[in-house]
Amino acid sequence: MRTQHVALKGTREGLVLYFDPRLDFKDLVDEIKKYLTVAAPFLHGAVVRCYGEEEDYSAEQRDILAAILEQFGLQLAGWLTFADHSVAEKQLRPDAGSKKEGHWEEGITEGNCLIVERTMRSGKSISFDGHVVIMGDVNPGAEIIASGNIIVLGALRGVAHAGAAGNRKALVTAYYLNPTQLRIAEFVTRAPDEEVVWRGPETAKISDNKLVVERMIMNVNRGKSPHNQ
Amino acid sequence: MGEVIVVTSGKGGVGKTTTSANIGTGLAAEGYKVALVDTDIGLRNLDVVMGLENRIVYDLVDVTSGNCRLKQSLIRDKRFENLFLLPAAQTKDKSAVNPDQMRALCLELREEFDYTIIDCPAGIEQGFRNAIAGADRAIVVTTPEISAVRDADRIIGLLEASELNDPKLIINRIRPDMVKRGDMMDISDIIDILAVELMGIVPDDESIVISTNKGEPAVMDKASKAGEAYRRITRRIRGEDVTFMNLDVPEGFLGKFKKLLGMR
Repeated sequence: MRTQHVALKGTREGLVLYFDPRLDFKDLVDEIKKYLTVAAPFLHGAVVRCYGEEEDYSAEQRDILAAILEQFGLQLAGWLTFADHSVAEKQLRPDAGSKKEGHWEEGITEGNCLIVERTMRSGKSISFDGHVVIMGDVNPGAEIIASGNIIVLGALRGVAHAGAAGNRKALVTAYYLNPTQLRIAEFVTRAPDEEVVWRGPETAKISDNKLVVERMIMNVNRGKSPHNQ
Repeated sequence: MGEVIVVTSGKGGVGKTTTSANIGTGLAAEGYKVALVDTDIGLRNLDVVMGLENRIVYDLVDVTSGNCRLKQSLIRDKRFENLFLLPAAQTKDKSAVNPDQMRALCLELREEFDYTIIDCPAGIEQGFRNAIAGADRAIVVTTPEISAVRDADRIIGLLEASELNDPKLIINRIRPDMVKRGDMMDISDIIDILAVELMGIVPDDESIVISTNKGEPAVMDKASKAGEAYRRITRRIRGEDVTFMNLDVPEGFLGKFKKLLGMR
């Protein structure tokens, strides 16, 4: 999720809000407000750090920015310096350039994780900064919003939003993937109108700017569909 | 010590009041001392379904606000002397009672009665909060429609949040012929989503409309299919293991003929 001069990225140390240092401060404030109006519903309560490259904002300017974040329900944890950031970038991609195989290698492989050991019924909502694993079903009318991946060890029939802070590498995996609506970063798709037959566990992800659903590659003969018994 | 059971659904018009009346009457017919409590303040119906509307002097709000004693407000049924109704107030609204008052009331009823059946209003607001406050067990009623099942799912979630675990499910107004044609959700579809224990299946039956209008619960009608379903539910509430009714549609002459020819 980003605008021309503002971007939010998830790093291993949490969310970082990037500002374009070349932008005039007043324009920056306007753009942040515009950006947060759209993004804030997914981010409510999130803790972020800010980074403006080498630009040194004055104490007064920093106060103004902190107040804006607070106004949108975000908590400012601090500022990253140029040096901090360079180190963080390097740690984030220790094996950048190495060969990648399978979708787990392409996706987000680390981070906080929330495990929910029950079925989520209609009206229940979870939003979490990290990955969410549901050990049960997600029924229609329930929603999960996660900044990372969403994994459902059951039937996903409700709404799932993975990579809600803008991470396009997020995945949604379910034993039975039949969501009312599926969102990854800013992409939205809905279930087909005709009934979905169970094809085994599936994963939804973004590939070439499209939200695609793939069957999980595993030994399909190992277990039988619960719907055929 | 008796047991307090709340009958709820979320969605309106699925048969909470009919179910409450029939379960209560069914238990009374078996000899238990039963109280029916209508918590649908402002839209009371249970008195009408029981045919006791013209006997109301005091109501639920009179009891909770201390205008009368509990004993004064309980109306004795015309068929069973061990069955009583505590009607809702019609001229007030749901905010006239609070969950603490309901808990106290249920405590008092539990002393006196083997079973207290609470008829819950539709919705998830204060009326619902009041109805479930003093209950030990919950029965969720749904019909084979997606909207009713969705609301039942929400209700089960709210019941679990209030520590009323393991609610039992009654699927009301099922039409076996439509299920067979694939035009209606079948029982396994519903159980698949709700994942709770099934307590009964009640077929759609004209006798319910007739008995409701007459103020005589169908459970007393030996010829009624829905009545038979409610009799079985009554026995399950007592803890008996009862088989589910066979709801298969009789095939008829043409059906048998087609089967013979291998046409289906």
